[in-house]
This record gives sequence, structure tokens and C-alpha cells, in this order.
Amino acid sequence: MTVSLAELTAASARLHNHTDLSDELYDDRIRDLVAYFRHLLSTDALSTFARDDFLLDNFDPSADSVAFLFILRSQIQKAKERTSENLPGDVWPTGKLWIRAVHFLKNFDRVQARYVGQEWRQLVELAGRAAQAASKPLLGARLVRDAMLRLDPSCAVFTSTHLLLVRLCLRARTYACALPVLDRHICYFPALVGRADSKAAQPLLCSEQESSLAFMGDASGLSSKLSSKDYLQYFLCGGMIYMALKQWRKALHFLGIVVSMPIAGSLSMIMVEAYKKWILVGLLEKGKLCPPPSLTSPHAAKMYQSLTRPYITLAQAFERDDVGRLKAEVNAAEHVWSTDNNTGLVAQVMNAFYKHTVIRLGKTFAALTMADLAEQALPWPTTEEDAESIIASLVMSSDLGARLLHSQKRTSSTMLRLSAVSHLPRLSHEMEMQVQLRNEGRSLKTLMSNLEQSNHQLGLSDEYIDNAQKNQLWAGSGEIPASEQVGLDMDEDIMGDLH
Amino acid sequence: MDTTLPDAFAPPQSSSSAAQGNEVPEDTANVNGAAPFVKVDDPPKFDLESYIANYTGRTRFDRLYLIGTCSTLLSTDALKVAVAEAKSGKDVGRYEKAVRALSEVAPNEPDAKLDLAWVKDTQRRVRAEGDRLELELRGYKNNLIKESIRMGNEELGTHYHQTGDSVSASKAYSRMRDYCTTPNHIASMLFKLINVAVERGEWLSVQSNVHRLRNAQSKPEDQAKNQPKISAALGLAQMHSGSFLEAANSFLLTDPSLGDTYNETITPNDIAVYGGLCALASMDRVELQRRVLENNSFRNFLELEPHIRRAITFFCNSKFRLCLDILDAYRADYLLDLHLQRHVSALYSHIRTKSIEQYLVPFSRVTLESMATVFAPEVVGGEARPTSATSPFVQELIRLIKDGVLDARIDLEKGVLVSNETDLRTEVQQNTLESLRSFNEKAHMRILRTSVLHAGLEVRSHDRKEGPPLAKGLAGRLSRGAGILG
Repeated sequence: MTVSLAELTAASARLHNHTDLSDELYDDRIRDLVAYFRHLLSTDALSTFARDDFLLDNFDPSADSVAFLFILRSQIQKAKERTSENLPGDVWPTGKLWIRAVHFLKNFDRVQARYVGQEWRQLVELAGRAAQAASKPLLGARLVRDAMLRLDPSCAVFTSTHLLLVRLCLRARTYACALPVLDRHICYFPALVGRADSKAAQPLLCSEQESSLAFMGDASGLSSKLSSKDYLQYFLCGGMIYMALKQWRKALHFLGIVVSMPIAGSLSMIMVEAYKKWILVGLLEKGKLCPPPSLTSPHAAKMYQSLTRPYITLAQAFERDDVGRLKAEVNAAEHVWSTDNNTGLVAQVMNAFYKHTVIRLGKTFAALTMADLAEQALPWPTTEEDAESIIASLVMSSDLGARLLHSQKRTSSTMLRLSAVSHLPRLSHEMEMQVQLRNEGRSLKTLMSNLEQSNHQLGLSDEYIDNAQKNQLWAGSGEIPASEQVGLDMDEDIMGDLH
Repeated sequence: MDTTLPDAFAPPQSSSSAAQGNEVPEDTANVNGAAPFVKVDDPPKFDLESYIANYTGRTRFDRLYLIGTCSTLLSTDALKVAVAEAKSGKDVGRYEKAVRALSEVAPNEPDAKLDLAWVKDTQRRVRAEGDRLELELRGYKNNLIKESIRMGNEELGTHYHQTGDSVSASKAYSRMRDYCTTPNHIASMLFKLINVAVERGEWLSVQSNVHRLRNAQSKPEDQAKNQPKISAALGLAQMHSGSFLEAANSFLLTDPSLGDTYNETITPNDIAVYGGLCALASMDRVELQRRVLENNSFRNFLELEPHIRRAITFFCNSKFRLCLDILDAYRADYLLDLHLQRHVSALYSHIRTKSIEQYLVPFSRVTLESMATVFAPEVVGGEARPTSATSPFVQELIRLIKDGVLDARIDLEKGVLVSNETDLRTEVQQNTLESLRSFNEKAHMRILRTSVLHAGLEVRSHDRKEGPPLAKGLAGRLSRGAGILG
């Protein structure tokens, strides 16, 4: 069986001008089209076009996404069969098919793509693989990111593509590239949908959705099957990207997520890795040993304690202002840092120590000589010149708001003038502040709508909680089966927060 | 020296009697080792004779003994009077203690020899008297006459008190409670208990007895009569427990009708000094002006001690050097005071810190030198660089800044103290941003956690994929996630 180009374009053209169609009709048509193409693909009907390099010129990816994707797919399939390679040369960056794929991923229609989730994901993964194979992860990273944001601007549902993206970015060392995705809060997992209200009337895939959750369910195929490892790795890698960008606070947040994930059974090594980095990043950001987030299970916290000894002793030395011990700890556990790939972070910890010492001094002094400084911060490392150069580098990296003043007399030592609160010019500071406030406010709003959504998904409403509490009271009077007691500790928390 | 305790609550020595011997550990615990042994070399401003004439009762000996053991100048005189004082009473333990102290400072004095005959005689008389009173009490008890039993207990208590057995004394007084028939009786019993507790330094029991006195339902005119004593005793107890503001309030409430009625514990002069110092140490300038200087009833007390009044006035007028000078001049006096001795340094350092704080209020920057002339004149004269980081005055400032008392920073280059400018706008913005951020982070963490649980994606040992947990289990695990609602 063969099809002609005219047939294909005609079939695809049924989707054009969808603004005139009702949602139901549009939904039907896309489904029909997808079924049609799946049928064609399975019967090998598209093979006639496999070698026609210009066939795709007849389709516009932004209007004929479905047709474009299926034809591209069949062409890639054929190329694979021809070369009997997993990644034929045409797919590699700058190959013929690569250019087509890029063209599609940059321009596809986000509604139509929802119906072909699996094919879409496979294309994205292929592009990622090809970019890596060609040692051009940068190309892949950009492409994957843009495609993700195009499909789902909120990026609130975790998919396997997320993990692909952060890995590509880490490999390409283009850390900033991942930020648009990383900065959006992930709130859901695909598995969450479908189960919750499979019976309830599902909204149409093509209709305007409040939350991306509606079309990113398990069934959509937009994500491969997930396990806990995937999201742990994503957040750990995400944290590492933030570390590379020195956005310590966000890094700390990501690591905290990994550290505090609920566990059933034993810890994952990824979580232990994350906790090690959590300690170091905590020192860098806050200058103290941060306790694991409050959500961490006590069992996990205990395990962390015993598994990360050298890190904890390092942090304690830091907290005690003992520069000698800190140095000794850094040197003593050198092999630990290098096996954990944390040498870079540990090296920064030393700098952070000086920074925090000087900042503390800045609370007491407005200006003092280097000699006085050595006296006040007793365990100051070395000679005055060394201290001066350390401070100079801190000032240059704008970690420290201070000025060094050489005096004219050679004998007297350099004066260090520590500026107060903000050393930025008033106006630019204000502007920056407002931008930040606005950003946080926006993310708060998103989070709140996500919270509502997940409350809806979980069937958590005030009525439910009232009811649950009543049931508990009722159960509390009689004998309670052991298994139900688990549910009993919810009362104070939930009620306390509600009122 | 057999007693190294600075306060006069030193226990009677074991030589006096076995009954008193067993209270020794208890008594030392009261002292708490609060103050090291104090030696006062400077001459005090008061005249010993007239000073001690203000007091009556057992506090005379305690005060004399304290002066005798602490002041190098007055030791012989004070101890001689103390010996005479003890000998006029019935307390053998005290006599022996005084004689021993005297023999250390002035072994050649005729009084430094123990009068063994007197000791023996007194001990015999005390024992006989005690036995007689016990016997009488037993007789009253047999007759079941309440009033007699009460009086018997009272007499016994007074006897024990006079002979220095304060434990037995307070026991005897407490036994009176069941036989008191009028509010007046209760009040007088409680006062006796307070006196014993003050002597023993049991300030908690002073406070509890004061509260019982307050709650006692006596007649309004009796209440009015007792009020000054109650306030004075309460203030004393509060001062000893270190809460100077409360102590100041109590002293300020003391009615001038106190007069000489409470000389066995505290004189109006003491009220003025204690109240004035506590107020200086705990109140700000406005409060001092309003509540101390313009307080008509307390003025009566202050007139007795004009220098305290002057010190407070100087403080209110921001003449801190003069104020501190006055206090320094009287330091020796206060170090020789029974109740003040242990608190002088704390009070003085409070006052000093407050002066520095108040001094800084009008300045946005002030030279260290001018501060030093006010607060550390001796440093300015003595040292080559009075304002270097190592000078004690600057060290003191550093400590105050680190403790968060002073909101300022030291500029060692220009030798000035710069007060921190609080930029409210920036601060509010920072705080808002911070709370937004931390809320977002927490909320995100919890939403994510809920989703993980709901999707059945907890971290498992073998990472098997399982169905979602049952709804029942979910509710329990959600308890943490639900915290975000707040």
C-alpha cells in the first residue's frame, strides 16, 4: 500500500484553521490523524518517501506537526535500517535529518504534540544522543531546553527529558543554559495523573489547560517510566549546575530536596552524595553547619551523620573559627574529597571561611589596620601580606564590601575599611531588589496554583480533613487496628496550619 | 582566717553546738560562692559608730563582722565592737567567731582572748532557758490553749533566733501557724520568718513569705502599716536574686512611713541607696526622671542620701562622668554593706554600660578619645595610645558591640565610633525577600514530597516500581506536606 503526497497533505490540512473548530471536533480530528499515521507507519506505507529529501518541505511543522513528525520518524527509521547503525550519520548535527529535527523541535505546535507524546520524546532523546555522540552537547542542550519550554512553558511536571537536559548541560558545561528549566518549580510527576481521576470526565487534551498536568500524564508518553533514581539525579545534577554558577542558595534548595526525600527502606547513595555537598554548600552560603531540612526522616538523618564523618568534622572546625584545625581537616581527608569529587568545593570553603570571619569583624569595626585584624581574628593564617592579598581577592570578587587603603608611611600597616550594609548605589540596588521581589512573588503565585491543583488531585479539601478528623475521633474511642494508627498523627499538623 | 565568706550569713562554727553543726552545708549552699572574698583598702565615708547606731537587732553584729573582715582600715575597730555586741547577747557562736577574727588582725588586743568563763556561763544559761521554754510549751500543749501554745512557740523561736540557731528558730515560728487566730498573729509570725530568712540569706523563702503576707486578710490599716516593710523585704530579695528592675520598683513603692520601724533589717538610708542604685542600673533616663526624681514618697528617702540623688540627677542630665565619679567615691562604702557587697560590681557595670549607651544616643559618630575622657579618664592619662585596639576601654567597647548592646562600629583609622545607620527601607525589603524565598522553598519541598508519595516514587532499596500507596497510608504521610497550608 502506498500513499501519495497529496493524500498526506490533505489529511494534515484538516487540522488547519482549528480556531474555527470546536474543541471536541479538533480533538477528534487530531486523534484520527494520529491513528492514520500510526497505521501508515506500521504498514510501512511511508517508506516510499524515505529517500525524498524534499518531501518535508511540503509540511510546515507549526501547522502540520503530526504529519511532519511521523514522516521524519519514518525517514530516521529508514536511515537506521540502511546504515544499520543506531545513530546514522544523517542524524548527527549538520546532517540532513538533524536539520529537519531541529526545524521541527523549534517550531512544532504544542497542542498537536500532546497527542504524539511518545514520538516527540523519542525525537528529543535522539537529538540529545546525537549531539552527545558528535561531542556537541551544547547544540543538544539548547535544542532540548527550547523544545521542553515550547511543549510546557510551566515545566511543572517532571519528565525524563528533564534529566536528559541537565546531563547535557553538565556535559557541555553550559550551566546557564539549563536555568530557564531549573528555575521553574517542579511540582508533579506524570504518574500522578490518570490514576486520580480516571473515571472522571477528562478534559480534552487540546483544550486550554490551567495546569500542564492534564496532558502530561503517564499515558501521554511524554516521559519514559520514572523511578526515584531519576528525580534524585535530576535534583542533584541541578544542584551541581547551581553550584557551578555559584548560586549557593538555590543549590542548597535542590540538595535539600534530595536529602529530604521520603524513603521506604534504605538510603540511596545519591542522597548521601547530596548530603555531602549540602554540608559544603551550607558552609559556603551560611557559614555554618546546616542541619538537614526538617522534612528529613530521623532515620535518614542518623545515617547521614555516620556516613559523612569527614565533612561534619570539617564543618565543625569551620564553625569554631579554628583556622588551624580547618586546614588540618582539609589536608587530612584529601583523598575523601577527591574520591567524592568535592575537591573544588572544599577549596572554596577556605575562602568562605576568611570571608565570614571578615564579615563578622565588619559588624564590630568600621575600619581597622591589618595588624589589628590579625589580633582580633586570632587564628589569622599567615603574614600580613598574605592576609592582605586574601582580602584583596575577596573584595575583587565582590564577596566583601570593603576597601583597602595603603598608608603613605611604609611602616604602618594597611588600613581595611569595611563598608556598612550595602555598597551598591541606591537606585540600582532598589531596582534589583524590586526585580527579585517580583520574581519571588511570581513563583509564589505559581506554587499556590500548583498547590491548589495537587490538593484537587489528592482530594484534599477542608471537608475531607474535617471528615478524616471526625473518623479519627470516632476510631479513637474504640480499639484501633495497628495499621490505622499511622494515619493518626496527621491531626495536629493539618489542623494547626489550617486555622 | 576561718571564714572566707564575704557575707554575714556565715554559719556558726561547729564549736557552738551539735544542733548548729548540721546546718553548715545548707548555709554554705545559700551563699552559692557568689562573690569572692572582698578586701576593701579604701577608707569608707561613713563613721562606724553612727553607722551602726542606725541598726538594731542581730543585723548589727552581721554588719560589724562584715566590715571587720573586709575593710583593712576599720577591721580592728569594727571587730572590737562586734565582740562587745556579741558578748551582750546570748549567741556563743558569734562571740567565738568575732574573737577569732579579731585575734587574726590584732592579736594584742585584750578582747582577742576568749572569755572562757563567759562562754561556759552563757552556754549553760542558754541551755537552761531552752529547756525551760520547751517544758512550758509542752505544758501549754497539754492544756490545749491555742493562744498559749502560739506564744510558747514564739518565745522558743525568739530564743533560738537570739542564740543563733536559725533553723530551729524558723521551725518554731512555722509551728505557730496552726495556733494563730487573728490576721495580726499571722502577720507577726510571717515577719519573724522573714527576719530569720533574711539573716540566713534564703531569698526565695523571703519572697514566698512576702507573698503570703500580701495575701493575708488583715485589716486595711494593718495592711497600710505593714506595706513599707513588705516592700522593703521584697525589694531586698529581688535585689539579691539579680532582678534589679523589680527590686527598684519594690523599693520605689516603699512608703516613707517605714521610718525606723524596720531597723533590724533595713534602714531608710539603705532603701535610698539600694533603690537608687537598682533604678540607675535598670531604668532609662526618662523613667529615672519620672519615677525616681519626681517620686514624692521616694524623695523622702533620697534626701537621706543626697549623693545618690545627685548621681541620678547627673545621669538624667547626661553628665555621666560626674555620676560615675560619685558612685566610684562611694564604692568602698557599698562594698562594706551587708546586702550590697555582692552586687556592687554587677550594679556598677550595668550603670556604666547604660551610661555608654545613653552617651551614644545623640551621636552618629563620636571620637573614641572623647568617650575615653568620660568613661576611662585613667586610660587617657596613662597610656601612649589610649584609643588603640588593645586599650582596655576599646576592648570594653568591642565586647559591648559583640554582645549586641551597642549598635555601632569602631573606626580605628579615624578613632571614632560610628553608630550603625539602619536603613529601614532596605531592611524591610530584605526581610520580605528572605521570607518569600524561604516560604517558596519550603512550600516547593512539601508539594514535591506530596507528589512523590502520591506517585509512589519513594526511594526504595531496590527501586521496584509499585502502585500508589493506599489512600489510608497516604493521609498519614501527608501530614507533613499539609504544613504548607499555613
